[in-house]
Amino acid sequence: MKGFGFFTSSNRLFFLILSCTDNYRLCILFYRYRDLAPQLVPLDYTHKPDVTLPYELIGSMPELKDNPFRQRIAEVFSEDGDGNMTLDNFLDMFSVLSEMAPRDLKAYYAFKIYDFNNDDYICKSDLEKTVNKLTRNELTPEEVSLVCEKVIYEADADNDGKLSLEDFQHMIIRAPDFLSTFHIRI
Amino acid sequence: MSYHYNKAFENPDYHLSETLEINRRRSPQENLFSYQAPYGASLPGSYGEHDGREQNYPLAIPVASMRQGSEYRGGLPRVNVLSRSPYGSFTDNLSFEPEPELAYNPPSTFHSPYTHSTSNRSEDDFIWRRDRRPHDEIFMTSSSVFETNPVWKEEETLVGNLASMSTNERIKAIQKMPETMKKKREIRNKVLKEITKKSRHRSTHLSCCTQCLQGIAVSFRRFGNSLSEYFHLLQLRYNTLKVIGAEFGTSVLSYFIFLKWLLTFNIFSLLINFSFITIPQFLAAEPNNLSFTGLELLTGAGYFQQTVLYYGFYTNATISKIKNGPSYNMQLAYIFTVGLYFVICFLILLFSIAKSFWRNFINPQAYSVNASKLLCTWDFNITNEKAVKLKQKNLSMQIKEDLTEVNWEVLSVSAKERVVCISINFASWVASLGTALAACAGVYFLSTNNLKLFVKGHRNDLESQAAMLVLPVVTSLLNAFIPFFYSWLGRLERFKTPGQHIYVTITRNIILKISILGILCYYWLGIVAASESQCWETLVGQDIYRLIVVDFIFCLLGSFFGEFLRRIIGTTVYVSLGLPEFDIGRNVLDLIYAQTLTWVGILFSPLLPVIQIIAFSIVFYVKKVSLMMNCQPPRKVWRTAQMTTSFIFLLFFPSFVGVLAVIGVTVWRLKPSEECGPFRGLSSMYAAVSEWIEILENYTASKWVVWIYHNLITSELFFFILSTLVLIVTYIYWQIIEGRKTMTKLLYKQISNEGKDKMFLLEQLRSLQRAKQTPSAPGGQGQAGQSSSYHPSRQPAQQVPDYPGRAFDRNQNASYNNEYPDAAGILRGTGFPPGLERAQRSSGPGMSEAVAIALRAREAAELEDQYDDTYPQP
Repeated sequence: MKGFGFFTSSNRLFFLILSCTDNYRLCILFYRYRDLAPQLVPLDYTHKPDVTLPYELIGSMPELKDNPFRQRIAEVFSEDGDGNMTLDNFLDMFSVLSEMAPRDLKAYYAFKIYDFNNDDYICKSDLEKTVNKLTRNELTPEEVSLVCEKVIYEADADNDGKLSLEDFQHMIIRAPDFLSTFHIRI
Repeated sequence: MSYHYNKAFENPDYHLSETLEINRRRSPQENLFSYQAPYGASLPGSYGEHDGREQNYPLAIPVASMRQGSEYRGGLPRVNVLSRSPYGSFTDNLSFEPEPELAYNPPSTFHSPYTHSTSNRSEDDFIWRRDRRPHDEIFMTSSSVFETNPVWKEEETLVGNLASMSTNERIKAIQKMPETMKKKREIRNKVLKEITKKSRHRSTHLSCCTQCLQGIAVSFRRFGNSLSEYFHLLQLRYNTLKVIGAEFGTSVLSYFIFLKWLLTFNIFSLLINFSFITIPQFLAAEPNNLSFTGLELLTGAGYFQQTVLYYGFYTNATISKIKNGPSYNMQLAYIFTVGLYFVICFLILLFSIAKSFWRNFINPQAYSVNASKLLCTWDFNITNEKAVKLKQKNLSMQIKEDLTEVNWEVLSVSAKERVVCISINFASWVASLGTALAACAGVYFLSTNNLKLFVKGHRNDLESQAAMLVLPVVTSLLNAFIPFFYSWLGRLERFKTPGQHIYVTITRNIILKISILGILCYYWLGIVAASESQCWETLVGQDIYRLIVVDFIFCLLGSFFGEFLRRIIGTTVYVSLGLPEFDIGRNVLDLIYAQTLTWVGILFSPLLPVIQIIAFSIVFYVKKVSLMMNCQPPRKVWRTAQMTTSFIFLLFFPSFVGVLAVIGVTVWRLKPSEECGPFRGLSSMYAAVSEWIEILENYTASKWVVWIYHNLITSELFFFILSTLVLIVTYIYWQIIEGRKTMTKLLYKQISNEGKDKMFLLEQLRSLQRAKQTPSAPGGQGQAGQSSSYHPSRQPAQQVPDYPGRAFDRNQNASYNNEYPDAAGILRGTGFPPGLERAQRSSGPGMSEAVAIALRAREAAELEDQYDDTYPQP
């Protein structure tokens, strides 16, 4: 086990306070981040070096590599929306995906992940993209659109033809598995 | 420019390096935004720049309105277009002020926008606003809250709220925010600033005590953190769980988590029993002169009879190492430890059930199958490439099945088919109950036969030891093979949903297991206890020991034959069978059965948890290896969370409650054996407590214990009153729940009405727009859009005979729209009445607010119609 002194302990406490993770996980995350590009990321984070890792590196992590939503996840959590991540973004991502994050936080980010066009609604085109990612394009376009219509019909409480964050949260509350499945073990 | 103002705004707290850095980093952004910022208009002496901005301005609108989550921005600039227009008049601004804060030019100094006031006040206002503006920008882009002035007001109140919380609450609240780390840091800094400000106001010096306490709290937290580091190092299984989750998903993982939970549960029981019963017994131990042959490990008899493993070995003496020193009463220790253990178990189970129910059964009726199947189904745990592909394939199969099922459901099932279905169901229930009954009868006769063998004599030869093993082997065989029969029965029947199938199979299995256990308990308490054997408790303990060991062996054999051989057959002989799936239900029921045995046995053999710990740890690794080698991920969607809840419930209801009944009968009704165990010579185990109370009555210092015993524990009246109270409270809660259910229904209805309202309004406005393809059309939009920015003075302003002004500004807006049709289109495209959308987005409790805004918007639309009637547009 490597030492835990990667940044001053007050800084570490700071990260702990801000994110839903614990000390151990935090250190593991830091080393995971650093292992992605050891030559770029310094060990000492006391002076907050401005380091951003490109999406190619983030997406190649074993935890994300085979996830059909990996690009979306990286985009949602990155600052610039392109999937390039600073340490902050990285910690953010895995603390939301940890088991300690509250349901609402998870629901919020899941919503953003499924909202491909960033319009704050999950509309039909977003759903179609989701279906295609979930099924690896094995369904015919008609089937996909039928499924999407059904989903919208079911989950859209306010009849506006698209799912808002509230609709999504309502749905999440009724799908208890979500908490355990929207979770990446690091 | 803005940087300069930031400097001017310097504040002692800005010396915090963090804040300073953030501000510096942001300054280029601010410059960028400053061209969009409508407030720039009030900048003193910036004519040229202002003109430039005037030109840029229309560009800024589309940019702004295209930005994510910024429907509201559209509203703001428009207001400013109006107020800055050369035609702008006093009334315009008044009626369109979205928020009091926007009136950065006080009405007294109102002027044509081109003659800017250079008063200090407006400059101050500007700086003040400027300092916050960028925060809003960041806030906006990172979240989907809307970019209007209320936002920073919101943030202000948020900061205020956070500042008034206690430290722990604050940390929780900040963690819950859906923001980036950077933003959270910023908010936290603000909050800390606020707090220091407050505390400076309150008292200039912090009391020494508070500081001290804070210091202690911080160091305690640090200590806790470093402790957790080492604790994690010990927790090696996490990696195993991760690997399993990566390949098999959450459903299979839930089995292993359950197993781990049971393991920790048993470690806890071991700790309690070992420290309060076994360690004192070691002090008073007698030498063991029986020989150890090795077969005892399997039978639990022989050598083990004279060890701390069984009840019979414990002494009834009062242990004291020093003469006249403090003594330890084994009788009381035994009964209180076991009692306390069961109370703790009860509480743990109760709380975990309650928590599980609370998390997983919030609203099971309204389970939206399709939607959640699509959006909540992806298991982010799975990271193995093959598993991902398989999962995707299964999902697409499932979706296809669902699509065809829609048609299938429509076909009505004929009466004949229904009768056949019901009769098959009935027959399989009869068959399964019959098998359970037959199994029970078999076990019963076998066990009574077995007893004769014990009573006949204690021969320590191989024959009798082998005979001892017959009962557990038969029981385990029944437990292992009848479930296969049940699953075969289940395949014959046709269930409406796969969930029903699972539940029915589980119910049958649990009936079988519990009835076998029940008959065994009857045999132990009714027959073994009444027999004239030397030490019946030890006999029962040995029986349970054997059952556990043999069950464990069968579990290992099961994973060998059930999974390993099945894989060999599935891959070589009958390839069509394919790889086996891990049967979560059956495996979990096995665990529940084993745990029930341990609970029953704890009174007769206090160290039984040790055996169970060893067994469970081995099972954990064997199952893991077998799973990795032989199995494939489950094809069906397994509703993990609900199944886990029902498993914990099963562990509680038939099993733990049944065990409590057995223990109760043993402690209160049965006569302990005369020659062994801590309770020898007493009429019942409980008599130890009543005797102790009698002794206590002689001491005045412990009168209260006696009083409690007589008035609370042994008095029926007390329990009567207690249960009445509990019933009343339960009834009240039930009523509250009913009320809430009604409330939820109403709120759901309200939401859907809300949606209809919105659709109606949108429809109305669209038809309005279509009706008048005249320049005035988008003006209506602008107006209704502003109806969201509610201002108390607005209503009267609309009613004052001020129509020319209104018409005018509508014209103004219209011309602007003509000039930039794109912008107008975008405005139209982005969600129209913003107030409504915002209401939609604001969380559930804000429903009434949403309704109010909707009503207001409708009102505005109606007013719009009236105006149109009164002042027909050219």
